[in-house]
Amino acid sequence: MSFDDFLSLGPLITLSAAAVISMLLVAIRRNHRITYAFSLLAYLMAMTAIIPAMLFIPHTIPPLLVIDEFSLFNTGLILVSGFIILLLSYNYFEEREERKEEYYLLLLLATTGAMVLVISRHFMSLFLGLEILSISLYGLIAYLRARERSDEAGIKYLILAALSSAFLLFGMALVYAFTGHMDFNGIGDALRQTGHLPVTVMAGFAMMLIGVGFKLGIVPFHMWAPDVYEGAPLPVAAFIATISKGGMLVVLIRFYQDIHGNEYTMLWWVLAIIAVASMFAGNWLALRQENIKRILAYSSIAHMGYILVAFLSGVQTGLEAISFYLVAYFITSIGAFGVLIVMSSSVQDAETVEDYRGMFWRYPWVAVVFTAMLLSLAGIPLTAGFIGKFYIVMAGVNAHMWFLLFMLVINSVIGLYYYIRIIAMMFKLPDTGAGSVIKPALPVAGNITLMLLTALLLGLGIYPTAMMQLIQQMMKMIV
Amino acid sequence: MDATFFIAAGIAVLATLRVITSYNIMHALLYLVVSLLAVAVVIYVYGAPFMAVLEIIIYAGAIMVLIIFFVMMLNLGLETSEHEKAWLRPRIWIIPGILCLILLGEMLFLIIQNRQPAGNIQVVEPKAVGMALFGPYIIAVELTGILLMAGIVGAYHLGRQQKKISHRFLENFEL
Repeated sequence: MSFDDFLSLGPLITLSAAAVISMLLVAIRRNHRITYAFSLLAYLMAMTAIIPAMLFIPHTIPPLLVIDEFSLFNTGLILVSGFIILLLSYNYFEEREERKEEYYLLLLLATTGAMVLVISRHFMSLFLGLEILSISLYGLIAYLRARERSDEAGIKYLILAALSSAFLLFGMALVYAFTGHMDFNGIGDALRQTGHLPVTVMAGFAMMLIGVGFKLGIVPFHMWAPDVYEGAPLPVAAFIATISKGGMLVVLIRFYQDIHGNEYTMLWWVLAIIAVASMFAGNWLALRQENIKRILAYSSIAHMGYILVAFLSGVQTGLEAISFYLVAYFITSIGAFGVLIVMSSSVQDAETVEDYRGMFWRYPWVAVVFTAMLLSLAGIPLTAGFIGKFYIVMAGVNAHMWFLLFMLVINSVIGLYYYIRIIAMMFKLPDTGAGSVIKPALPVAGNITLMLLTALLLGLGIYPTAMMQLIQQMMKMIV
Repeated sequence: MDATFFIAAGIAVLATLRVITSYNIMHALLYLVVSLLAVAVVIYVYGAPFMAVLEIIIYAGAIMVLIIFFVMMLNLGLETSEHEKAWLRPRIWIIPGILCLILLGEMLFLIIQNRQPAGNIQVVEPKAVGMALFGPYIIAVELTGILLMAGIVGAYHLGRQQKKISHRFLENFEL
């Protein structure tokens, strides 16, 4: 590896080195605060390492990795989201678990896995990144040992993720057996020479779709989502909803572009059916839920469906729309989970809709933040979620996909119901005789983070031009 | 495609079927070992002797023996010795043993004949594997290290003996 390679891989190397060092720190002396501070520092340093990496783009490190504007943008997005999740975690774990230090270690490793995903251009790096992410997540999901539901969630995720990885690997083997290549470009070229999708490759893609679909939590591979979100610690649930799904989505986009997926109508139809099913299943199942974690899980299934609509448009605007939507979705999801974290007491999670009754009258500031986040998830103007959805609709109109757009609009209306229901609950007058009200922790760091997220949310909603220009410039490279 | 491939592949399929259909865990594990050995022979037939050896050393050797050890050790209690006696009855090991003998015979046959691999396939020498792993694919090797670290840290945290939490009213009862 040359010096340029090292500089280009700066963020990745920084973060993986930080994981090793923090393991040694834990071995020398267990201290929650030191490990926390070190992890924050590691994220900041990795973010700084993006700047020298920008000098060399586009830079390919054959055969496994590619660093271009698209991957650096997403690396930055992952690092910033990881940093924010980390900020929210300290108070959550302070009271809940005796040994908190391994959490930070696993979080660093999981973020490393996601970063490998966004820079990979080869089946091998794709699989390794995915496994680093999944294996760290097994530990993270079941982290709170004393809670009974976390074991259930951990086992569920472990078995299903292992099974879906096996499918992914088998699919890759089939594709490799036919094309003789494991890098995305090589596969694309080999398929182009053939001119159509042979049965072997089609079967391989179908099996890979199972592995990818599981990670994205799209229908029909979505069954794990609500149980895992409910059982996992709240910051980990935020991590799964954003970084884990985002990383997978980025590598899916790169793969689809490199194999010229739009030229094969069969693939398009399969993904279109999955998109429509995800939107409907997510929104319908969320309607009758009483647990906010489960509502957010179902809503994330629906959001993946919306993103797939932009993905299918196959035009330049569609790719821009995905990037913008991902940014908006990351901010909103982390914000919503952040409110849940801030409102939870030191022993109990505030997770039922009933826990939020009359919240506006007791904690108006947090209630306003939560309202903003929910409205953004629903796609109401002045929030980032609205611009994101608008962008997707624009991409759909450019590609003349009227049916998919019609489905998207119907689902947005259905989705509105359960978001508004939570908001309505917050503005109800509080019960006077309520005995078991959760005493929220309301940590200072959490409140400041939420304030920043709200500012970002409204900023992107009111003045999206800067972010759009950045994304447009970035996407010129990839198409 | 020749007879050696079909025999080894047939044994692999048969043994794997027995893995998932047998109720006795020892029985299933023995068949799993046989299945892995058969796959190793298939790989050998196709001109990758290094992969075949790795398959035997790592999967059939280290990992499976470890699992069998764990199963034997974790079955503590009064009936343990009877269990172990039951596991060593010929009924349990005779069929896996015969399958292993067939594979061994096939392997010896192949080695003595010293012929070219089946089909039109290039033989990959261990040296070439090493050069690829520590040349262009060095990043993959390092990422694998990170993967193992994630596994170990997670297993360390989850495997820790949990403090027994029972309700205070239950403390006086013998459970």
